[in-house]
Amino acid sequence: MIGGMLRRCLIVDDNERFLAVARTSLERDGLEVVGTASTVADALDKADRLRPDVVLVDVALGAESGFDLTRQLVERHPDLRARVVLISTRREEDYADLIALSPAAGFVWKAQLSAGAVRELVAGRP
Amino acid sequence: MTTAGLALRVGAGRWLGGLLAGAVGVAAVTTVVALLEPSLPALGLLPLYLLAVLPVAVRWGAGPAAVVSVASTVLLGYLFLPSSRRLWFAEVDNAAATGVFLVTAVVVGNLAARLRRAAEHSARLSAEQAALRRVATQVAREAPPEEVFATVVGEIGRLLGADSAAIVRLDPDGLSTVIAQDGDGPERLPVGSRWSIEPPLALGVALRTGEPARRDGYEEVPGEFAELLRQVGVRSSVAIPVVAGGRTWGALGAQRRGTAFPADAEQRIAEFTEIVAIAIANAESRTQLAASRARIIAATDATRRRLERDLHDGAQQRLVSLALELRQVESAVPAQVRADLDRMAGDLTEALDELRELSRGIHPVVLSEGGLGPALRAIARRAQVPVELDVRTAERFPEPVEVAAYYVVSEAVTNTTKHGGASYVEVTLDAGANALALRVRDDGAGGADPARGSGLTGLRDRVEALGGSIHVTSPAGAGTTIEVSLPLAR
Repeated sequence: MIGGMLRRCLIVDDNERFLAVARTSLERDGLEVVGTASTVADALDKADRLRPDVVLVDVALGAESGFDLTRQLVERHPDLRARVVLISTRREEDYADLIALSPAAGFVWKAQLSAGAVRELVAGRP
Repeated sequence: MTTAGLALRVGAGRWLGGLLAGAVGVAAVTTVVALLEPSLPALGLLPLYLLAVLPVAVRWGAGPAAVVSVASTVLLGYLFLPSSRRLWFAEVDNAAATGVFLVTAVVVGNLAARLRRAAEHSARLSAEQAALRRVATQVAREAPPEEVFATVVGEIGRLLGADSAAIVRLDPDGLSTVIAQDGDGPERLPVGSRWSIEPPLALGVALRTGEPARRDGYEEVPGEFAELLRQVGVRSSVAIPVVAGGRTWGALGAQRRGTAFPADAEQRIAEFTEIVAIAIANAESRTQLAASRARIIAATDATRRRLERDLHDGAQQRLVSLALELRQVESAVPAQVRADLDRMAGDLTEALDELRELSRGIHPVVLSEGGLGPALRAIARRAQVPVELDVRTAERFPEPVEVAAYYVVSEAVTNTTKHGGASYVEVTLDAGANALALRVRDDGAGGADPARGSGLTGLRDRVEALGGSIHVTSPAGAGTTIEVSLPLAR
């Protein structure tokens, strides 16, 4: 599958306002948000049931870590390797090493989140 | 055997030694007298016997010396005066000469014996003073208490001729822990072992009453510890409480197998226990000081972490959502408004970046998330001079240790950029068995003064609060090296 065929998306974030804004933004550009989750357990459960094409994971999930969630997602669903996109209010340089070490496709700063940015990242790492 | 019996035996030994030595001396002098006697009057040679009397007086005391004097007189008369004059000493001249000799011998003997006692006393005092000085010096240079205790028991053992000596600490549960011990006899108490030490044991009395105590003989004393003392033949014990901070902290005790301790033993030990008490009080205040420093730093760090978190969850989160919304609106409005919106979105992004910079200075989130490796690499990436990182561990460490190491590197790199005129910085991080070793070196101007630089002082506080050490070497013109060791409780 190539980036252009990404259609179904799961967002994992613990900020409700952001979830709402992100959903509108992504769906307008043709990326359907099939579900949202705010904890690691919830996210794993929804990934099992909804089988999204791509998962957006906030790095900071309250006391839980988005990096941990990314590893677990990829372990359970190997086809999600390079189909997880890390997002954060903090900047990429704050986490640079950790992003590079994770099996995620990459990082998008929340203020610049768009369906295009997500597709570009996923397509860039086949 | 009773104490009196022991003393008698020791006394007998002294007499025997003195008389034997006297006999040897008298024999030698007699030989000389025999050689001189043909040309000189024998009675005139009597003072020569002082040569035999004096050493006896100095070494064995006035009593044996007096006996040797009398024996000398009798021997001289018997050997060298004509046998027809067996009652030679009854003659007035002879009696006067003999009498003068005897009085002189006894007086000189007494003086010599007294001199010897004074010399002994002074030697003992100076040995004691030297020992006290050694211990006090250790306390003054803030040696660890265990080291001071070990020295004290060693000195006491030597000074009092004890077969064993120990310092015990009274624990809240009533048992006592052996903190230091000297002597290698079977009665020695292993350091760290715990005992129930109760009266009438000398140590037990000292611990319960806070007063000096002594015990000679253990025949009817119950308990495991007394049984041990009995088995190995300990006869005499003295114990002095160690009072620190107004309470009985523990006690110092010494044991002897052969004879009882001298009467002033308690008083002599007491001088040491005072120093021990000071060492304990010092160590306790140092520990409290370090703990309070560590608490203050931990509280500050917790506050900074919370502040960063609040900024992230609150203002940043809200502004980020706002920026995203602006972008959405932008695409739905006419072109002339779009330009304005675009400018606003750009301003918002800048504000967010400034906020981000600020909160990163408050607390480095990558440290809590990823540990020292990623956090130090983040410093290196942001630095304005090249930073060569050599991180030889991927381990996670207790948060205060990671935070301290992070700030050392961050501060050092900042200083280098600000003042050092360096072309590069080298950072080495290595985890040993008991400590995390960190070294930051640059090739800048050097001349950093840790006493003046407030940044370095802050680092010193942080590192020392964790029980670590920091050394700054910064000769003018030869770069700056900061070496830090942070203990790891593994």
